[in-house]
Amino acid sequence: MLDHLIASAASFSGDVDGLFVLITVLVGVWFIAAEAMFFWLIFRFRAKDGEKAQYVTGKEKHLKKWINIPHALVLVCDVVIIVAAIRVWVTIKQTLPPADRTVRVVAQQWAWTFADPGPDQKLDTPDDIRTTDELHVEVGKTYHFLLESKDVVHSFFVPAFRLKQDADPGRIYTGWFKPTKTGSYDILCAEICGIGHGVMGALLVVDTPEAFQAWEQAHAAETPAEAASATESTPAPAAGQ
Amino acid sequence: MLNKAYAALIGAALSAAFVAGCGTQPAAERSSQLYETCMPCHGSSGEGNLALRAPAIAGLPKWYVLAQLEKFKKGVRGAHPDDMEGHRMRPMARSLLGPNDPELVADHVSKMRAVWEKPDFAMADTSAGGTTYRGLCVTCHGEGGEGNEALGAPPITRQHDWYMVAQLRKFQSGMRGSNPDDITGAQMRAMSLTLADSVAMHDVVSYVKTLPH
Amino acid sequence: MAQHSHEAAHVAGASHDAHHHQNWFQKYCWSTDHKMIGMQYMFTGMAMALLGAFMAYVFRMQLAFPGHAVPGFGLVSPGQYNMLITNHGSIMIFWVAMPVLIAGFGNFLIPLMIGADDMVFPRLNRLSYQLFLLSALVLIASLFVQNGGFGGAWTAYPPLSADKHYNLTPWGSSLWLIAVVLEFVAFLLGGINFIVTSMNSRAPGMKAFDVPIVVWTIVIASILFLASVGPLVAGAIMLLFDQLLGTSFFNPTRGGDPVLWQHLFWFFGHPEVYVVMLPAMGIVAEVMTVFARKKLFAYKTVIYTIIATGVLSFFVWAHHQFVAGIDPRMANVFTVTTLLISIPVAEMCFVYIATLYGGSIRLTTPMLWALAFIAEFLIGGVTGIYLGSSGLDVFFHDTYFVVAHFHYTFFPIAIIAVMSGVTFWFPKMFGRQLNEFWGKVHFWGTIIPFNGIFIPLFILGAAGEHRRIFDYSNFEHMSKPWMIDMRIAATVSLVVMLAFQIPFLINFVWSMFKGPKVGKNPWNANTLEWTADSPPPHGNWAVMPEVHRGPYEYSVPGRERDFWPQDEKV
Repeated sequence: MLDHLIASAASFSGDVDGLFVLITVLVGVWFIAAEAMFFWLIFRFRAKDGEKAQYVTGKEKHLKKWINIPHALVLVCDVVIIVAAIRVWVTIKQTLPPADRTVRVVAQQWAWTFADPGPDQKLDTPDDIRTTDELHVEVGKTYHFLLESKDVVHSFFVPAFRLKQDADPGRIYTGWFKPTKTGSYDILCAEICGIGHGVMGALLVVDTPEAFQAWEQAHAAETPAEAASATESTPAPAAGQ
Repeated sequence: MLNKAYAALIGAALSAAFVAGCGTQPAAERSSQLYETCMPCHGSSGEGNLALRAPAIAGLPKWYVLAQLEKFKKGVRGAHPDDMEGHRMRPMARSLLGPNDPELVADHVSKMRAVWEKPDFAMADTSAGGTTYRGLCVTCHGEGGEGNEALGAPPITRQHDWYMVAQLRKFQSGMRGSNPDDITGAQMRAMSLTLADSVAMHDVVSYVKTLPH
Repeated sequence: MAQHSHEAAHVAGASHDAHHHQNWFQKYCWSTDHKMIGMQYMFTGMAMALLGAFMAYVFRMQLAFPGHAVPGFGLVSPGQYNMLITNHGSIMIFWVAMPVLIAGFGNFLIPLMIGADDMVFPRLNRLSYQLFLLSALVLIASLFVQNGGFGGAWTAYPPLSADKHYNLTPWGSSLWLIAVVLEFVAFLLGGINFIVTSMNSRAPGMKAFDVPIVVWTIVIASILFLASVGPLVAGAIMLLFDQLLGTSFFNPTRGGDPVLWQHLFWFFGHPEVYVVMLPAMGIVAEVMTVFARKKLFAYKTVIYTIIATGVLSFFVWAHHQFVAGIDPRMANVFTVTTLLISIPVAEMCFVYIATLYGGSIRLTTPMLWALAFIAEFLIGGVTGIYLGSSGLDVFFHDTYFVVAHFHYTFFPIAIIAVMSGVTFWFPKMFGRQLNEFWGKVHFWGTIIPFNGIFIPLFILGAAGEHRRIFDYSNFEHMSKPWMIDMRIAATVSLVVMLAFQIPFLINFVWSMFKGPKVGKNPWNANTLEWTADSPPPHGNWAVMPEVHRGPYEYSVPGRERDFWPQDEKV
């Protein structure tokens, strides 16, 4: 159902959509039954002239079962939902399949910057491809991402992947995804991070292997040496002035 | 589709209020309200803020503010992965939604009263700085630092010294001016690369602070 | 009156100095009468609700028509947008739901319903309101300082909230925090009063299970509040120190931990949901029994489910943090506890529906509101299942699905149940009747657009639309034409709903002074407050009542009348 509203482009996004359908069916039945019962009772027992209400304490066995049986059934539904939810959770968050490639995702006020390991497949080497606003990945490959924040709490959210993870300053979180469909998808920040939060977006571009190769070669050609010397930011002013 | 059904409910009076409110806002009112976006960092009178690394913008010429806003908006400036301050400015430029908003806010900023910002650094060797300035900077920024619209060079005399040093560093390292679409930035970058070191930067900035304003 | 002992209060009720003349200052500023304090809480809460509603109007207009000046406000800058959503949330929970539901109804109803002449600590009660008023003033002041009010969301996650270089509101964030802490202190004082009063001052003959449900719920809510607020007050002080004194409890660059705040906040934040929910459930129980002319179905079961909900609510907080970087194995534990809480809540809903069985249902305005509470709250309840399921919450966390979900719980709580209570007890509060016709106009004009606001938001949330974003035009997949239509639909519904509050306000004020006068018991209800005069004098009764039976003995077979007041001897 969800893929009618938003593309489903990662290996686990179908699991999330399936969980959504399961919960919708289970709680939908309860919801419709409860509302139907509710409106029927209002209609059936509306005040009529000369008709007194019944005296029911709620201790009558034949009436109490109408509470007790649904009670037990709700418990059963809960168990089904818990099992299904935890299965999906374990897939997305608790397991880490071996990576084909590892990228770094850095959040800061108010932009996403990314580091692709480049041709040597190793992060933090001079051939890293560092980009702002755009993360290129190859379809069908399993990616690990190392998520960090430079200042406040941000959250890495890719709706089309059904993936979300907060980025806390001072920690590095490792997660994974495996894109299954080419295209470009929104990356949003999902935790309020200041006045630029509303425009802190980026694109996640899932390329075909050929397109990814081309992109990598185009960017690997750029000399990265400058970036290394640029980490020093604005100087503090001299004291006493 | 849905909104039409509701619009019928709401009635003509309310719609009229919307139209009146949305359509006919006076430009002056809109431009001063747009400045609310800039105020948290640049200050209520455009004086800048050292702690936030926000430059003084009051009284900068309209063409320059507009050009920089467009650069930020397109990611030509402030998109380098290491440019922390640029990353904060860029979304702000992007949040000017209306087609004329950058122009309106640039106009508002240009009309703000410019103030000479006193130096925050200890003054360095202004005579060495003066030599550098007359050799390098004068062609674009002018003898008195007044800037040159035709060459895209902003006036610099009233700017904070810490901001100018920071920008020189950014130009030098490629955080600013290395985007292929940033033509004036590339020119400035080439100039900044001729400055030998941090000492030379402080010298030339100190000299700029001695220029009449 | 503060010196009255429990026994003395009952024999000496008549000697209350109700006839003693009070000047304006004594009456409105220093009165220790629980009814006056309750009313002040209620009116302050309603005034704050107008402020919160105005904020909602401004930011919904911005979302529907981004970049256009909002009539009555002007352009909305990103900073102002954050300020509006932050303060809308804070106001609606801390300055509307809490004061009206707990302090307002609690103060007005508890002594009247348990047959006491006043609260046990009347002066503490007065202090509680004054602190609350001060907190509201501090909050309002925070909107007008340099760079405006706090904009880091009502959850105030550090380091954003802790460092002015990040949030850019040097004064707003500290004043907001101070206001919240003051508000908590006010409710601590109030809560102690409710608990002690209902334990010690009940009328002779009133056993624990003769106490009306609404008193139970307010008392249990107060206990929940007392037990959960401690960590947050401590956390808030730590955050204030981080902001103002340069400590680094939550600053990771100097050894602090931002996630600690999230735990402290949600350890309070989740029970808080039930703190406001329970009194709403109580009000609905009172109204439903009166207008269905029915005994509450399984009174004791209701009490047990309330207690179970309260206890469980302390073990679910981390479901707000599934994607916040807690150990992923922890999420499994909290998924289980979160879904378990659906059982007592579902049970409560079943019991309420069952109460209608065999009734003689009169659809008066208060009853319409009470029934609407059940119908709408069910939607809020079932959508909570989606969010409590960790696997799905990875996607839904902080989307508009969450926004729609908690508005389907909070709106029934803070508006629908409150309206039910206000229209039901209005005759007791002011001795006059509200206009039924305009009451029903207000009801339908509120309920229909309410669904029009939030059903589109469920759909938008399911499409991944994220919260707290002032403009979606930068996100390709969030600005499809149908999404823009839905945003406009939600906003127009909101404007319609706000417009329909005008008949209510007029009806309320007009009826206060000009409505038809009523006697002691216009609804033929059983509970003790209906045996006092309307409005009750200072001291409530000339002769203190005694209790002979439970509160819901309606339509008892063999009796001529279909109600049987608690204080009637036979």
